[in-house]
Amino acid sequence: MSRSPQALLERRYARLGLLLIAPTIVVFCAVIVYPLLAAIYLSLFQLYTPTLEGSFVGISNYRDLLARGEFWISLRNTLVWTVGTLSLQIVLGIGMALMLHQAVWFRSLARSLILFPYFVSTVVAVLVWRWLFNDLYGILNHMLIGSGVVDMPVDYLGSMPNAMISMILVGAWKYFPFVVIAVLARLQTIPDALYEAARIDGAGPIARFFDVTLPQLRDVLVVIILLRAIWDFKEFDLIFLLTGGGPVISTQTLPLLVYKEAFALNQMGMAAAYAVVMMAIMLVFMIVYIRQTREKEAS
Amino acid sequence: MHNHHDIGGAHSRRTLLKALVAGAAIGSLPLRTRAQRAELRWWTPQGAPAQLDAYRFQIAAFEALHPGVTVVLEPLSDEGYAPQLAAAFSSGQVPDVVTHLPSFSVQSYYAKGLVEPFDDVIEAIGPDDFYPGANDVFRAADGRHVACGIGNSAVNILWLRTDIMQRVGLERAPETWDEFRDALQKLQGRGIYGTALPYGRNTATSLVFIGFIHGAGGQVFTPDLEVAIDSEATRNALEFYREIRDFSPIGATNYSWGEGLTAFVSGATATGLYTGRVLANVNDQNPRLSDHITCALWPTMTRDIPPWTFNDFPSVFIPAQSGNKDLARRLAAFLFEPEGYIRQLHAAPGHVLPVLQSIGEDPRYRDNAIIRKYRKETDLMAQAAANGFNLGYESSAHRSNEKAGEVIASGAIADMVQRVVLNRENVDRVLADTTRAIAAVMAR
Amino acid sequence: MMRRLLFNLMVWSAVLIVAFPLFWMVVTSLKPQLELWARPPAFLPIEPTVEHYVTLLQDTNFLVYFRNSIFLSTATTLVVIGVATLGAYSLVRFTYRGRESLAMLVLFTYLLPSVVLILPLYLMMVKLGLANTLFSLVLAYTTFALPYALWLLRSFMAGIPEDLESAALVDGASRMGAFRDVIFPQLLPGIISTALFTFILSWNEYLFALVLVNSDASRPLTTGVMNMLISSFNIEWSLLMAASVMMSVPLIIAFAFLQKYLTRGFGAGAVKG
Repeated sequence: MSRSPQALLERRYARLGLLLIAPTIVVFCAVIVYPLLAAIYLSLFQLYTPTLEGSFVGISNYRDLLARGEFWISLRNTLVWTVGTLSLQIVLGIGMALMLHQAVWFRSLARSLILFPYFVSTVVAVLVWRWLFNDLYGILNHMLIGSGVVDMPVDYLGSMPNAMISMILVGAWKYFPFVVIAVLARLQTIPDALYEAARIDGAGPIARFFDVTLPQLRDVLVVIILLRAIWDFKEFDLIFLLTGGGPVISTQTLPLLVYKEAFALNQMGMAAAYAVVMMAIMLVFMIVYIRQTREKEAS
Repeated sequence: MHNHHDIGGAHSRRTLLKALVAGAAIGSLPLRTRAQRAELRWWTPQGAPAQLDAYRFQIAAFEALHPGVTVVLEPLSDEGYAPQLAAAFSSGQVPDVVTHLPSFSVQSYYAKGLVEPFDDVIEAIGPDDFYPGANDVFRAADGRHVACGIGNSAVNILWLRTDIMQRVGLERAPETWDEFRDALQKLQGRGIYGTALPYGRNTATSLVFIGFIHGAGGQVFTPDLEVAIDSEATRNALEFYREIRDFSPIGATNYSWGEGLTAFVSGATATGLYTGRVLANVNDQNPRLSDHITCALWPTMTRDIPPWTFNDFPSVFIPAQSGNKDLARRLAAFLFEPEGYIRQLHAAPGHVLPVLQSIGEDPRYRDNAIIRKYRKETDLMAQAAANGFNLGYESSAHRSNEKAGEVIASGAIADMVQRVVLNRENVDRVLADTTRAIAAVMAR
Repeated sequence: MMRRLLFNLMVWSAVLIVAFPLFWMVVTSLKPQLELWARPPAFLPIEPTVEHYVTLLQDTNFLVYFRNSIFLSTATTLVVIGVATLGAYSLVRFTYRGRESLAMLVLFTYLLPSVVLILPLYLMMVKLGLANTLFSLVLAYTTFALPYALWLLRSFMAGIPEDLESAALVDGASRMGAFRDVIFPQLLPGIISTALFTFILSWNEYLFALVLVNSDASRPLTTGVMNMLISSFNIEWSLLMAASVMMSVPLIIAFAFLQKYLTRGFGAGAVKG
C-alpha cells in the first residue's frame, strides 16, 4: 500500500494546479456561469424592467419570438452583416499583409498606421465615420461630388441598402488590421525554401500565392475566421452607435434587438429569451464550423 | 438642519460589501467618499453649456443655504434618458431630482409607483403663481400632481429665413400645407435646402409626426385612449410628409432634434422646426443670420384646422426611491427662486418659457437682449406653448395618458413614418401594424 | 527601380486611405465652428484653434471620465492578468482531472455575447448594491477580458520549453519557486502584451458601461463622451473630434513604446490557437 514518492509528488502537484486555477474558476462562475444560467431563468418570465416585477410565463417568450417577423429579420441582418464584413476583413487583411510583408519604405510606420483603426475605441471610430458621412458638411460627399461621381450627396446611413453597406465597410475598416497582423506573423514563419522550390518549378507569383502561401496560411485563417465571426456576430457598439438599427429595422441585429427589448420596451424577460436564442445559434454555428475544419484536416 | 442625522444614518446602513467596495475604490471616487454627507443627484436632458452655468449658479446658492449638502448635476441626452432611467429605477440608484423631462414620461413612471407625489412642492412654490392650468397636464388619475412645469416650450415652431424669402418673393409665412409645399419649392435652391425635418428612427421623428397627424385634424388616441391612429388624417399626414421629403437634406433619414437645428442655424436650410433655442444658437454660433430669422406657427392641412402646438411641458419631479426626499423637495422648490430661475430661462431665451406669472412679468426676465430683440417671436411662442399639447395630453378633452412615454419609447410611430415614407410600404398594412404595436404597449 | 517605386506608391496610398479618417479627426478638432459649416469644407483649417480642447478640459466632465477610464482599465488589467497568469500556468503545466474540459470552457466563453450576460449581471450588481460603481464595471469587464487573457497566456506559456522548469525542479526548486525564477521571466513579454490587450479592450468598452453605470461620477470615457456631446440642442463636431483625439492619446502612447509587444500578442494568439 505504500505510495511511491513520485505518485505523492504528482498528487501534490495536481492539488497545486487546482489551487492555481481556482481563482479563474471562481471568477468564471460568478461573472459567466451564473449570469448565463440566470439569463435562461429570466427568459421564462415576463418582467417590467424599471420595477423588475413580473410573472412566470414558461416558454411562451420563446414561442412569441419565433413567431415574430422582427426576430427573423434581425437574424437575417446579423448574418448579412457578419458574412459581409468578415469576407471584406479577410480579403483586405490578406492583401494588406502580403503588401506589408514586402520591403516597403517606412514599413514600421505603415504598420502602425494600419493597426490604428483596430485599437481606437469603437466610439471614436463611429464618431469619425459619422462625421465623414455627414450629408451637409461631410468630406466624403464633397469629394464624390467634386470628382463628379455623384451629383447629389449620398445618404450613407439613412436608407437601404446604403446603411448596411456603410456599416459593413466601417466594420471592415475597423477590424481588418486584426487579420493583417495575424497573417503577417504567420507569413514570417514560411520558409523561403518553399518559394524557391516553387520558383524552380516555374510557378509565377499568383501560382506561388495559391500553391505555397495560402496552404501555409490555412491554419491561421481557420482560427481568425472563427474568432472574427464570433466577434462580428455579437457586435453591438459599432452598429448601435452608427445606425442604431435603422432605417426602420433594416440594420437591426440580434444584440440590438436584445438591448431594445430590455431597455426601450422594458421587457427584460423577452430580452433574455432573445439573448438565449442568439447564443444557441452561435453555438450551433461554432460546432458545425469546428467539425467541418476538423474533417478537412483529417482528409 | 434637523435632518442631518437622518441622512448620516441612511448612509451608514450600507452593507458590508458596499463598504468594502468603497474602500477598494477609494481615491478614485472622491464624489462617492463625499457622500457621507448628503448628496443630491440632479438629472436633466437640457444641458447646453449656458444652461449648465445657470444650474451651477442655482446649485451654489442652494449649497450655501444647506451646508454639508452637495448637488451633483448630470446631463442626459434626449434619446438616451428613457433607458437610463429604466436602469436607474430597477437598480434603485436614482437621481433625487429630475428636470426637463416631458410630462408624458413622468406620468408613465408615476403610474408604476416610481415617482413621488409633488403637491407639497407646488404648494411651496405657490400654486396661484403658475399660469392658470399650467399644471393640469401633471395631474394623475388619483388627482395628485406627479410633477410641475419648470418651463413651457413650443417645440414645433416654423423658423424662417427672411432674406431668402425676400429673394424668392415669398411675402408671408405659409399657413397651410399647400402653401408650405409651394414655399419649400421656391426656397430650395442655390445649395440651400427647403427645410430639415426628422425622418430618423428616433423619438424626434415620433414627436414631430404626431404634430402632423394633428395638423391633418387627426389624433393618436381618442379622448378615452382608444388607439385612433389608423385614420384618414394619418394617411394624409404620411402622404404629405412623404411629398416634402426631398426638401430636407438627404441625411434627414437619420435626423433627430440636434441635426435639424444645426442645419438651420448653420444656414444650410431656409426653414426649420424647433423651439426658441434657435434664437440663442443663431446669435452665438452664426450671428450673420441674426437679422434674417423669424418664426410662425406650424402650418396645418387646411385653414379650418387650428394649429396644434407641441409643448413637451418640461417638468420637475422626484423619484420615489430617492434617499433624500426632503432635501430633494427643497431643491425642487428652490429652482423657482427668481434670480436663479431667470438665469435658467435666459440661458436659452425663448426656448424654455416661464411657467410663473410673477416671472413672466418680472422686468429682470424681460431685460434680456434676445427677448427684447425678438419680442414678436418670443410672444408668439409663449402664447402657442400655453395652448400646447402632447401625446400624454392630446387635447383638453383627453384623459391623461400615462402610457404615452412608453408609446414614444417603443418607436412605433417613427417606424411607421420610416416604413411609409422611406420604404414605400403599403399604408394600410403599416397602419394596422402600428395600431397593434401601440395597443400592445397600452395593454402592458 | 520603377517597379519598386510603383509598388511603394500603391502600398502607401492604401495605407493613407486607411489612415485618412484619423487624419480628418485631428484636422476637424482644430477647426473653428464656422469653418465646419463651410461647404465644401477646406482640407486644412484656415485658422487653426485649440479652443475645443480648452472647452473640453475646462467646461466638461471630460477629466472625470478620463480618470475613471484610467482607473477602470488599470484595475481590470491587474485583476485579469493576476488571475489569468496563474490559471494559464495551471492549465499548461499541471495534470489533473477536468483540465481539458476547463480549457474547453474557456474557449466556449468566447462565444458568449456580452448582451446575454449583461441582463443578469446588471441584476446581480443591483442586488449586491454595486450598481453604478466602477467596481461593477471591473467585474463585468472580466467576462470578456479573462477568457481572452487566459487564452493568450496559455499560448505564450506553451511556447516556453518544459526542460527549463524540469531543470529547476531537479535542482530542488519548488513548483512556485520554479515559476517565479524560471517561467515568469520567460513569460514577461507575453504578460506585457496580454496586459496591453486587456487594457485596450477595457478602455474601449461601451455596452457594459452604458447599462451598468448611470452616474457621471463613475462613467468612463466611452459613454461619457457620447452622453456629453450628442445632445438635442447642438451637435458640436469639432468638440466631438477633440474628445476623440484625447481619448486616443493613451493608445497612441502605448503604441509608440510597445508596438512590438502588441504584434507579438497577435502572433501568439492567432498562430498557435
